[in-house]
Amino acid sequence: MNGALFVAKTGLSAQDTALRVVSNNLANLSTDGFKRDRAVFEDLVYQVTRQPGAQSAEGTELPSGLQLGTGVRTAGTVKQFTQGTLNVTDQNLDIAVEGRGFFQIALPNGETAYTRSGRFQLSSSGQIVTSQGDAVEPQITVPADATSVSIGTDGSVSVTQGGSTVATQIGQMTLAGFTNPSGLQAMGGNLYQETVSSGAPTTGNPDSAEFGRTIQGALENSNVNSVEELVNMISTQRAFEMNSKVISTADEMLSFITQQL
Amino acid sequence: MDKLLYLSMTGATQTMLAQTAHANNLANVNTTGFKSDLAQARAMPVIGAGYQSRVYAMTERPATDLSSSVNNPTGRDLDVAVQGSGWIAVQATDGGEAYTRAGELQVDAAGQLRTGSGLPVLGDGGPIQLPPSSKIEIGSDGTVTVRVQGSQARELAVVDRIKLVNPDPQSLSKGRDGLFRVNGGAAAAPDPLVQLQAGYIETSNVNAVSELTAMIDLSRRFEMNIKMMKNAEENATAAAKIMQDIG
Repeated sequence: MNGALFVAKTGLSAQDTALRVVSNNLANLSTDGFKRDRAVFEDLVYQVTRQPGAQSAEGTELPSGLQLGTGVRTAGTVKQFTQGTLNVTDQNLDIAVEGRGFFQIALPNGETAYTRSGRFQLSSSGQIVTSQGDAVEPQITVPADATSVSIGTDGSVSVTQGGSTVATQIGQMTLAGFTNPSGLQAMGGNLYQETVSSGAPTTGNPDSAEFGRTIQGALENSNVNSVEELVNMISTQRAFEMNSKVISTADEMLSFITQQL
Repeated sequence: MDKLLYLSMTGATQTMLAQTAHANNLANVNTTGFKSDLAQARAMPVIGAGYQSRVYAMTERPATDLSSSVNNPTGRDLDVAVQGSGWIAVQATDGGEAYTRAGELQVDAAGQLRTGSGLPVLGDGGPIQLPPSSKIEIGSDGTVTVRVQGSQARELAVVDRIKLVNPDPQSLSKGRDGLFRVNGGAAAAPDPLVQLQAGYIETSNVNAVSELTAMIDLSRRFEMNIKMMKNAEENATAAAKIMQDIG
């Protein structure tokens, strides 16, 4: 059978994956703390149909052989942890991280997840939780009679209570950092999980050079660049069309034999 | 049996092989740092007793198009593109040194600098190992600078330098894994003149228009070969008919 058919098939499926990545990025254009993905392609193995340097006759060598590529494959997707722009919301429990740190979230199953989305709320017991209701680690409980909550760039959480004018510190937020954040596993819901590839997290207070600062009253926008994604979509679509053209050409060639002979 | 039939058959088969080479180029039209393969046909005369009337076609890959392609900005610190000619040295799966232009680098959990497909990037003395760091910068000469975790912003440490080489293009060939190697297996010497551009990746150098044109050209050639097979069949039918009429 014509090898071009199967090679073009790998091209079509790779472009299909690329389009899926682009559409997911575009769908999350307005998701707080979303980090865009990029599909990484690499060429598949080459088949040596004829070895270069083989002898064509006694004493004569072929100067170049025939090595045919077998197409393309998606090596993986890479999340790009570049900083998103900050959107000032003036909500006192909206916190953005300016730097590379992640908030730690305690999941109901006891595991810890990591997020860049700092849209926090208070639970009925006054605990700082995500919009899903999962508690932020380390757990901080705001007293019921607190009149204002302020979170410093160093992650310290302080409140003023009742008629008092003096703020008292009630907790300290910490951030986690990873050697290879691209290796984190995205769980959906803006959450990431530690993997072997990401390495173990290191935690520390914000405002250090390592993790970045916490900024109260702001949220981190998605780092998807809509123009770039649309351009990627165009190039993906055209590449898809070219590969389907290869399939139709290969099909015409095969049908020509069956009709003529 | 008429030799024409066999000659046309090999012509058609070899055209199909060339078609596969072009299909592979088109499949990799969006692969970072991909270099397109060239395909050509060679005439192989059949040498033997008697009149040398037969010349078979043979498709081969004489070389790879090594021309540079456009560098696309990505803004990611670990994306590097080679400016002009030059190669990034990586350790292939067989342990040997190979060269690539695909600079979508990443750091694994153990702190090793790897390519997008997971191959270790080579430095001055073997694979580049990075300490746990909060920021990694790659300079235009391949120098990898990191800010070690817990240190101040002004305390930057130079860890290693990516091995950049620029061997004679004539001595390079593409291996089965798509990586380039110097013919004969020797490692190329580092070249200080090769420049990297951080925050960019090099696009595939496949020229989609010329590939599509080549596909059309090959498909017509294929049809001509099939037509010749058809002619051979008609000749044989006509000859058989004459023989029948005589009989």
